[in-house]
Order: sequence, then C-alpha cells, then structure tokens
Amino acid sequence: MCRHKVRTLDMTYVIASARLGTIGDNFIVTDDLNIEALIEGGFIKSTSKSTKSDKPTKDTNEEN
Amino acid sequence: MPSTTYLSNPVVTINAVDMSDQCTSAVFTRLIESLESTAFGQTNRSYVGGLENSTLTVSMYNSFAVSETYATLKALVGTAVTVKIKPTSAATSATNPESTLTGAYLESLPIVNGQLGALDVIDIVFTGGAYTVATA
Repeated sequence: MCRHKVRTLDMTYVIASARLGTIGDNFIVTDDLNIEALIEGGFIKSTSKSTKSDKPTKDTNEEN
Repeated sequence: MPSTTYLSNPVVTINAVDMSDQCTSAVFTRLIESLESTAFGQTNRSYVGGLENSTLTVSMYNSFAVSETYATLKALVGTAVTVKIKPTSAATSATNPESTLTGAYLESLPIVNGQLGALDVIDIVFTGGAYTVATA
C-alpha cells in the first residue's frame, strides 16, 4: 500500500512560461485555478524544495 | 454600416494561460435555459429563465511543443476550469469587457485531428460555470 503526500496551499510558485506572465515572477495562486495542471504543463514551478513530494512513500504500517 | 468596428483579435486565457496565439476562432455564448411557463388560458407560449449554461468554444492549432496547446489542456479534461475572453488585447474597460466563466467544464479534448496537407486544428468546448464580466 502506498500513500501520496498532499501539496499544501501555502506553497509558492514562480512563472516558468511567458504565457502566464514574466518568467521568474511570483505566481499568485487563486482558488479558481488548477495548479496541478499548470505544474504538469510546465507553466509554473514550486519554489519549495524539501517539504513536498508527489512520490509515493512506503506505508510503514503495512503488514507483510 | 456598423457604428463601431474592430478587427477580431480576442484574448483567450485558459486556466490563466494565454492561448490567444494558438486560437483561430472563439465563440462565447451566454445561455440561460428557458423554462416554459405557459398555462391554460394563454394564447401564446411564455418562458422564464432557468439555469445559466454558457459556453466558450475555441478552435486552436494543436501543438505538442512545450507550453503550447497539449501541455495546457491535457490535465484539464474532465475538470472545471476558469476561462476568460475579451474582444481585444487592449486594457479591460467598458468598451473591451473581459468575460469569465469560473468553473467551466471541459468534457473532451481531441488529441489529434490530422488531415493530409492541413494543420492540426482542434475544437474544444467549455460548458457551464459562473459568468462574470469585468469592465476595469
């Protein structure tokens, strides 16, 4: 069994595509936007490094 | 003769991404469903307004390059998203109003629409959502 860590709302992002604005500027997150789609499409990047991950982690409570 | 004219050059944003340079056509239609309220004794049908079900239909060149059509839309199928359109690229104003559908649903995404000797163009439709208009 795997569990996925969840992105939190306090993450900050920078613009990675000119289609959103000036590259490198902070991206203002609003509730009506699909942030995952913007990340997946390469339009924004998270500035957080160590606290969040989409990689599944091993459930330590799993019975063998 | 029309009293005002402008070259059609709307600005289209999908999930905050400006896709104007990929678009060849954009049709934004406000639709408020009609509910028949005709009753006995009337000699004509009458209607009242029901739920709003506006749509934005966009024709776009398909592209799988970085930050282009496919990258913008691939994760949006089956989700509700915010889409915006305004008549021209000038500042938003009373004469260049920006219409928004918040929570418009993208039901389908053509992946390839290829024809010999023609560019790949896809039509996508955003349906529903809450309509607002900004004039400043």
